[in-house]
Amino acid sequence: MSAAPFVDASGLDIDAAQGRDLASASFSLARRFAAGATMWCIAPAWPQHARHVAVEFVHPVTIGKRALAAVAVTGPQPVAELRSVVRAGDVLCAISTADESIVVDALRRAPAWGLETLWIGCGPTQPRAGAAGHVLWVDDRDGRAPYDGSIVLRYHVLWELTHVCIDHPGLMRPQAEAADGADTCITCSDEGSIGEVVDGVADGDARVRTPRGVEVIDVTLVAPVRGGDLLLLHAGVAITRIESEHAGG
Amino acid sequence: MRFVDEYRDPVAARATLAEIERLAAEQPARAFMEVCGGHTHTIYRHGIEHLLPASVELVHGPGCPVCVIPMGRIDDAIAVAHQPGVIFTCFGDMLRVPGSNGSLLRAKAKGADVRVVYSPLDALRLAGEHPDRPVVFFAVGFETTAPSTALTLRRARELGTHNFSVFCNHVTIVPPLKAILDSPDLRLDGFLGPGHVSTVIGNRPYRFVPERYGKPLVTTGFEPLDILQAIVMLLCQLRDGRCEVENQYTRVVRDEGNPRALEVIREVFELRPHFEWRGLGFISQSALKLRAEFAPWDAEVAFDVPGVRVADPKACQCGEVLKGVLKPWQCKVFGTACTPETPIGTCMVSSEGACAAYYNFGRRIPTRSTRVGVARSAIADR
Repeated sequence: MSAAPFVDASGLDIDAAQGRDLASASFSLARRFAAGATMWCIAPAWPQHARHVAVEFVHPVTIGKRALAAVAVTGPQPVAELRSVVRAGDVLCAISTADESIVVDALRRAPAWGLETLWIGCGPTQPRAGAAGHVLWVDDRDGRAPYDGSIVLRYHVLWELTHVCIDHPGLMRPQAEAADGADTCITCSDEGSIGEVVDGVADGDARVRTPRGVEVIDVTLVAPVRGGDLLLLHAGVAITRIESEHAGG
Repeated sequence: MRFVDEYRDPVAARATLAEIERLAAEQPARAFMEVCGGHTHTIYRHGIEHLLPASVELVHGPGCPVCVIPMGRIDDAIAVAHQPGVIFTCFGDMLRVPGSNGSLLRAKAKGADVRVVYSPLDALRLAGEHPDRPVVFFAVGFETTAPSTALTLRRARELGTHNFSVFCNHVTIVPPLKAILDSPDLRLDGFLGPGHVSTVIGNRPYRFVPERYGKPLVTTGFEPLDILQAIVMLLCQLRDGRCEVENQYTRVVRDEGNPRALEVIREVFELRPHFEWRGLGFISQSALKLRAEFAPWDAEVAFDVPGVRVADPKACQCGEVLKGVLKPWQCKVFGTACTPETPIGTCMVSSEGACAAYYNFGRRIPTRSTRVGVARSAIADR
């Protein structure tokens, strides 16, 4: 079944496939917000977009809609800022082209911080597969998308759909979260997770940040490590490094 | 083994599915085995089976470390847990795995001090906190988990912690792969190779799969996109007449694996002559035991372990499921007598077990008519 594209008053459009992506992203965001998340917005090259997204969510233009916690991170070192402010369960919303190294780095680290990730962007090339949990992309050949409203349209619709999900009775019910969480292996008998090294401690151990918090992890098998290194953790031990050049799918 | 990461971008998934459909249309029907339980979990959770064209079938393999533990070893674990003063530690999944006379959870209810730990290092810490009580760690898992146990044992030796021991049930991935490949009626066309086991052992140990058996293998990550991309890579190999070990999971797996992890495994463990696998029977040199130097920390030396082989319940068809002969829903007791709440077989216990994964995520979806990758009697217990 094909759906007609959505076209706004200025003639900008969202096709059916992008509409599905927007719906999926909105649902994820709604569930995170319902659980108390804050959305952190970065857009190193276009900080106005980061501020715009944050203000859309915090100050709803429609009377009766909830204010959803969102903050624009526009300082000179967004990764360091994010590291210090985000909590597990939050959302990272990045707006950029696919080659924005700061955004790529922040999104790589997001799983270690326990964040849901959303990348809204434009350009002739898309991000590598798996670069973010949700990708909303404008195929932009002439470089006008950041300024012609195409990106703005997407996050406006994202905001609206997020509220549609939040307001829908049943979608935010706790059992929906529980079903999603069922994939978490309660044992760790066979789970790998990403951690970011905070600092080293004695005897082959390091303090490593994971979605569960800061844990003491045996790093003997990947030593030496330093703050900011990304590791794959299993049963209390780091079994390999996740190198940036290997981060692609 | 799962990798908690986000590789679920629907744009990329749609493009990859379209590529799979195009490639599948060019060639005969294909059956690929996902070796790892983490892959099985992802496939069911995200409904990947139902997105694939009918001519591409996924067969679930023996890679869930909990599922392959035979009942006799569970009985042994329970016997150790009931020893006076013992603090018995294990990963959470192991609590509910049924032995011939109950589970560790039931043993706990009867008074045994059974505790769940996240890491063997937690068990060692527990031993430090309770110097007057023996602390035993129930070690299960493939080469991914073995380094963690090995490092813990090395640390126990360094610290001189003698009230700590390991009941070792670590297994290795290559022998069961060989057992499956040696089955005379094998109808698999390729393998999705395990991801995190390969982090430790690398890709080289799988070379025998294409070289000796003429089947391609792609080491694969654990997110939906990883699995779809790996299927594309397998289909491309078959279309091009190639037969190789390829690595889809490059962001984590190196060809050489982790040499330090392999070194610590070799330092602490040696191969057992034989080990029983649930559903696959005895497979030679397929499991690890502690070297003699580590005997003071070996629970099988320290405690009186019955070591009795126990046949699986007649109704349970975990063996066939593990070999890929049966789909979970084709088991006689699936979803009726055997559920995640009251499991009869191990495949229903672990979240990575094919039956539990299918029960939790797939049972409401109409089943596809499937041809299974290995004939029912193809793999004799050995």
